[in-house]
Amino acid sequence: MLRILLVTDTAKPIGQLSAALTAAGFAVIAEAPGARALAQLVERRRPDVVIVDTESPSRDTLEQLAVMNIAAPRPVVMFSDSADPATVRAAVAAGVTAYVVEGVAPEKLAAVIAVAQARFDEDHRLREKLADAEQKLAERKLIDKAKGLLMDKRGLTEAEAFETLRRQAMNRGMKLAEVARQLIAMADLLG
Amino acid sequence: MTLEKSALTLGYMPLTDCAPLVVAQRMGMAEARGLTLRLACQPSWATLRDRLLAGELDAAHALYGLPYGVQLGLGGPRHEMAVLMTLNQNGQGIALAQGMHGSVQSGDGLRRAIVAATRRLTLAHTFPTGTHAMWLYYWLAAHRIHPLRDVNTEVVPPPDMVGALARGELDGFCAGEPWPAAVEQAQSGYTLVSSAEIWPDHPEKVLATTRAFADTHPQTTIALTAALIEACRWLDHPAQREQAVPWIAEAIGVPEQLIAPRLIEGHGRGGRSHAARFYGRGGEVCYPWLSDGMWFLTQYRRWGLLDHDPDYLEVAEAVNRLDLYHEAARLADVDLPATPLRRSVLIDGRLWDGSDPQAYAASFAIRA
Repeated sequence: MLRILLVTDTAKPIGQLSAALTAAGFAVIAEAPGARALAQLVERRRPDVVIVDTESPSRDTLEQLAVMNIAAPRPVVMFSDSADPATVRAAVAAGVTAYVVEGVAPEKLAAVIAVAQARFDEDHRLREKLADAEQKLAERKLIDKAKGLLMDKRGLTEAEAFETLRRQAMNRGMKLAEVARQLIAMADLLG
Repeated sequence: MTLEKSALTLGYMPLTDCAPLVVAQRMGMAEARGLTLRLACQPSWATLRDRLLAGELDAAHALYGLPYGVQLGLGGPRHEMAVLMTLNQNGQGIALAQGMHGSVQSGDGLRRAIVAATRRLTLAHTFPTGTHAMWLYYWLAAHRIHPLRDVNTEVVPPPDMVGALARGELDGFCAGEPWPAAVEQAQSGYTLVSSAEIWPDHPEKVLATTRAFADTHPQTTIALTAALIEACRWLDHPAQREQAVPWIAEAIGVPEQLIAPRLIEGHGRGGRSHAARFYGRGGEVCYPWLSDGMWFLTQYRRWGLLDHDPDYLEVAEAVNRLDLYHEAARLADVDLPATPLRRSVLIDGRLWDGSDPQAYAASFAIRA
């Protein structure tokens, strides 16, 4: 049975994949909430497949394990000989990256990715329907808090604070709420 | 001269030394060469690499070792790569947890602390084939600490290092600015050495692309390289760096006070300075020295990432595109050195001049 580890350190609901993968006959052996736990779990639990959000900063930890340990899972990428290109394209479309140990059959990996993709597509639709309003409200709160911080610490007017956030979001190709979240986190860090 | 492509997407990681990309966009060097740049911040080096290979990024700010690791297929995809120029020297640091401040003020002090410790210390870096791994390993070994046996080493995303030090999960790390500066501001750690103390004027980030992109877009590649050489020259003018601080802070999403001191200090004139150099006296920083590329290969051999000696010069000549750089240097009016090899003396007093990489790689007593 394929042993799978899920990395759950981003907004993508990878943890919710667990039930779907188990139902499809895979064993989800662990979930890693961050880079440090991830390194330890890969060494101790030896998963066959690691599923991680393409946007996760923890990917470089998996790269380290792949270089330093021949038995560790390796990244599956577009141009590798072992991966079926359709599988990889599906993974990329779902925003998912897979790391796989040597010897896992491509069709088995394809099945895992198909489950992940279906789950995320479904989740996407659900979220759009149910949580859209809720999310917008949460984002508005974040943006208001970040605006307040900018007004407070840099003596900006509300309009200037919003413009600063908006410009930064545009230049970095990020969502306004994400820029606000980072600003709040950094302000907490620096006191 | 016709450009094969004029709108380019460049990847970068949230580090102070992404500055040349930001300046080339803001100060119009790219535009003057017919290029429109879109800068795309990346969540990890692995994702930056994958997007470069998939063609979603045209070129990127990359750790020197990253294109070399991909060229050799170390632990991941194997793909023909191109280094177009060096974006900076220096500007990285090794930081330790605040609790060690009283007892550890040098590499020798760290060795004594490791001997005395009742547990193994854990030190982090940023990418397996990257520069920070190699600076950390080299510095530890120069103080008779074996990086693979005497300590745990692991990769932690730099923004997480501040918290990991504060929580006692990490004892130290090597990373690019502003992260060593960030732990000092958060008072969770202190900077013990700047990377310039390990190798004065060491190569750091490069402008990387795939060989396929460089070969099918030679005029675009040359124009982009010329624009970035000009941005580097602009950055090394003492009066101008300050002007770039808010742009860099915005591009990487941290407050200006994390960027400014260590970008401006000493203007990257080497020594103990934490600042990066971008251009140097005559553009020597930008030149893609073959000896710089080969050095990373010697260290991969030393630490067991390579289990045999590669043809060092052949790999460096394939990756570092001197042909394209020469054209770009002509456009940007920069002198070229007489030889593609340079002499460096590292912290342990060893000379590296690229003349016998195989012997150099084999000469270290502390190795994998």
